[in-house]
Amino acid sequence: MKNINMKIYIILMFLSGVLQFSIFGLSWQYFRMVQAVHILSSSFVAIFLLLPYVNMHIYQYMIVKKAKSTSGVILGLLLFFIVASGFYLFLVGNRGSDIFGIYSYYIHLYGSFVLLFFLFLHAKKKVSNITKPILSTVLLLSISYPAVSYGKNVEKLTNIQLEEGVDRYHNEDWTSSVKCKSCHTKIFNQWADSNHRHLTGTNPYYMVMENLAAADKGDEFRQWCMGCHNPSAVTTKQKRSTHNMNSNNMPNFLFQSGAKELIGEFKTHGNSRLEQGVSCVACHRITKVDSKGNSSYSLDLTNRKKYVFEDSSSDIANFLSEKFINSNPLVHKQSYSKELYKKSSYCASCHDEFLPEPSKREIVSTFKEWEQSPFNNPNDPKKHKTCIDCHMTYLKDNKHSALKGTSTTGGAIKEDIKVHYFTGSNHFLSGLKSKEHEDQSIQLLRTSAKLDVEIKKGKVIVGVKNVGAGHHLPTGVSDFRELWLDITIKDKNSKVVFSSGKLKKDGNLDTDARPFMKVFADENSKPVGLFFWRYKKLLSDTRIPAGKRRVESFKIKNYKDLNYPLSIEVRLNFRIYPQWITDIVSRAYPQLPSPPVITIQTIKKRIAK
Amino acid sequence: MKFFAYLFAGLLIGIFVVSILLPTKEKPLYSDDELRRAALSRDMQTTPKTYEELLKLVDTKQNRLSKAKIELGKDLYFDKILSKSKDISCATCHLISKDQKDKKIYIDALSAKTNNKTDCIICHLSDQSGVDRFEVAVGDAGRENPFHLNTLTTLNAGLAKYQTWDGSVKTIEEQVGNSIKAKDQMNLSASKAEQRVKADDAYVKKFTLAFKDKKVSFENIQKAIGAYLKTLITRSDYDRFLDGDNGAMSKSAKKGLANFLNFGCKGCHTGVTVGGQSIQKFPLRDYNSIIDVTNSFNETQKGREVSHFNFNAKIYHPFPFENKGGFMGKDGDRLFRVPMLRNVTKTSPYFHNGAVKKLRRAVFLMAKHQLGMNLSDKQIDDIVEFLKALEGDIVDYKVIDKADL
Repeated sequence: MKNINMKIYIILMFLSGVLQFSIFGLSWQYFRMVQAVHILSSSFVAIFLLLPYVNMHIYQYMIVKKAKSTSGVILGLLLFFIVASGFYLFLVGNRGSDIFGIYSYYIHLYGSFVLLFFLFLHAKKKVSNITKPILSTVLLLSISYPAVSYGKNVEKLTNIQLEEGVDRYHNEDWTSSVKCKSCHTKIFNQWADSNHRHLTGTNPYYMVMENLAAADKGDEFRQWCMGCHNPSAVTTKQKRSTHNMNSNNMPNFLFQSGAKELIGEFKTHGNSRLEQGVSCVACHRITKVDSKGNSSYSLDLTNRKKYVFEDSSSDIANFLSEKFINSNPLVHKQSYSKELYKKSSYCASCHDEFLPEPSKREIVSTFKEWEQSPFNNPNDPKKHKTCIDCHMTYLKDNKHSALKGTSTTGGAIKEDIKVHYFTGSNHFLSGLKSKEHEDQSIQLLRTSAKLDVEIKKGKVIVGVKNVGAGHHLPTGVSDFRELWLDITIKDKNSKVVFSSGKLKKDGNLDTDARPFMKVFADENSKPVGLFFWRYKKLLSDTRIPAGKRRVESFKIKNYKDLNYPLSIEVRLNFRIYPQWITDIVSRAYPQLPSPPVITIQTIKKRIAK
Repeated sequence: MKFFAYLFAGLLIGIFVVSILLPTKEKPLYSDDELRRAALSRDMQTTPKTYEELLKLVDTKQNRLSKAKIELGKDLYFDKILSKSKDISCATCHLISKDQKDKKIYIDALSAKTNNKTDCIICHLSDQSGVDRFEVAVGDAGRENPFHLNTLTTLNAGLAKYQTWDGSVKTIEEQVGNSIKAKDQMNLSASKAEQRVKADDAYVKKFTLAFKDKKVSFENIQKAIGAYLKTLITRSDYDRFLDGDNGAMSKSAKKGLANFLNFGCKGCHTGVTVGGQSIQKFPLRDYNSIIDVTNSFNETQKGREVSHFNFNAKIYHPFPFENKGGFMGKDGDRLFRVPMLRNVTKTSPYFHNGAVKKLRRAVFLMAKHQLGMNLSDKQIDDIVEFLKALEGDIVDYKVIDKADL
């Protein structure tokens, strides 16, 4: 191998590498090609040509001929670092979290200039007076440019990514969910009263909280909430979530089922009015997710394959486009349904939530809880249960039982329709609109836990086992949920001798109750209350992990003087929002009723002695 | 070899020189300074930074501003005695909070033991917009405006040349009087208002301090509230940009400002208030008997063409939206005062009867019907970004009496 060939190779590698330097601002379509060519060809050259050559060269000159060359040694060392950092960047990458990636990036970039300098120094026996200044200018120039690292450790408020070449959407890009209704009627109606539909302007709790976050942390902070609650508003660059008005009144959306408001709006304004909240395409046009949370998903609304007239506002054209789809629906199906949607990591992009600051303190970590639970068992498909196996499967008689039927009007019969009730613990807001939704949620809640109780040495000992949930009980915003034990013990004469976990007159939970929850506190260990973004310290975490049992024991006063037999009744109660929060929210939304207490499990026991 | 080395070094330097010379960013149509100069030369001005500058703009012979007068006006603005049933004050519809420095109003309103605020105010008071965000203004005893007109903001109104929707009122003091007396607003006669204020000794004292004639008269009530309104001025990113801060507005907002100037919006929306300085016809272009096919083949613009309003199939439409209330402007001639665009993002719904709820649609309609232009999505984006840059907070002027100046 000739020396000159090697030099040409190195220079070619250098040129293809330096073209990717951010100062050139190479347009993406060229960049991606240059990058691929640089990485692949350099790997090939390094492994098959450069390394064997260097090996030979060192052997020939340093061992056989015993030549001494400082520039040669430095060159060799530099070459080692450049190649090593190059392979690190290729195989591991500069993803921002590990310091090696960032070092590799800078070594590879700046080191290559230094390498070139020594390459010439090494090639020339004598360095002419002209070359020196030229090369030092080049070195100086190269150092004076700041480089961009591709993974800066700054937490963004939202992590939504749009497709290439698009920096925002317009209202028309967000196809209204009402368009889906004509063919997917059942699914539309399930979604219409579900909690996914009512995440924004129609959810009093959310609206109060978003405004509170803005009042506390500034308007910009709303984007943190909106990333998951209101993707359409974020991507159309709206500053805040808004609610509809009907002349001077707020429409009565709390008790309105079937998204009538939305349907009416679509009729009068077509697709030009933005649908806020989580609409059909908000989930069904997600192309990629990162399970880290805080809206870490990628959307692609503009590269959809659309049938002729699909976007038209005229009735006839609309009718035609539906016929076109129905005649050969494969492309339509591929556009809106992906294998990804069945995975738990898909849900994680929003159902995990952390503070948008370097500490990344976890607020909601439902996905991480699931990952560590026995429900995550990919090796045993029978035991492996993903999010949709519980939350998008129909419930009958307090059990999950797959619903057989069609998801499209006139579609193929499926054994297990993935229902879009998005059943979760929030039976309340969806329940105000539809009894069916409430019923599904309560059934799901009842599958979650089992109780056991005994009396020992003057103590009531209650065990609660999380048997049904693939995550902690409660999960989600578990600082705002109430799950507690309501205990009553009566003696022989039906006199109450012990009670715990009752409601006070004002509706708040009595202080003797021990709710299963986590409590966030600020830096002074003061509970943060509604301001959960001020979370600095975790005061307590009494939630019950999946498959685990938690024991609470309560002392009975004067247990020696009791009149046996005793009858014990223990209820595991759940309330979606504490009364004090509802009190606050109903200031702004006076029509809001108070959420009821749901009994998940009851256990009764008689103790003779 | 030597040749090769030189060639390479030269190549390297060449690459760097080229990279420096090549523009990396999209070249704007105007430089920031040019844009600023263009705006200022077209009568776009910033709101006053200091009280002294403010006086130059708003102090009149008829109503000299003084500290005592402004304070008195502020008290009256927030006092419900000026409405017949003592249910509403000026601030009920022209929503702002009395203490502008208090940033905790929302949190306090949510957690207050006694609730004396209506549900809307709890969230919207922190907007500090000077309007109630209703489609139709509601006055004393729940009476709605007979023409379905909505509330105009009091912020910056002191700088406008004309007041109210049809511009029939010239001074803000006159408008204060009208608002108190109007049946569908405060519904209180001049003599009743005087009587009520006189009954309060604290007010009598303040009036003697604030006015030379020391009288509690309806005229003085007007003057006092007028004086206070003249201090309700907002400053925004746009003002900071015009003052010389290039970073104050985003790139898109600057482009929007350039469009605003170029398309001709500034022809009417001009002056320090970006509007409010003239009376103009709306809609200027009447598409009623025109069959519009311009968008027939453009799917993205669908639903925006004039035919969407059923102009051609149905009866004559005076406006490109529902003619709720039947208000036809000054002399019934569709003449309107040009609305002020400062804080426009906080004063939806739009147009005199609130029929248009979204800002983007309002921008589109204005361009279509006043300029005869069909704006693209991108152009609307930029103009909306510019309008966002007009959103600002009320300036906290240090009020000093003239003798001390």
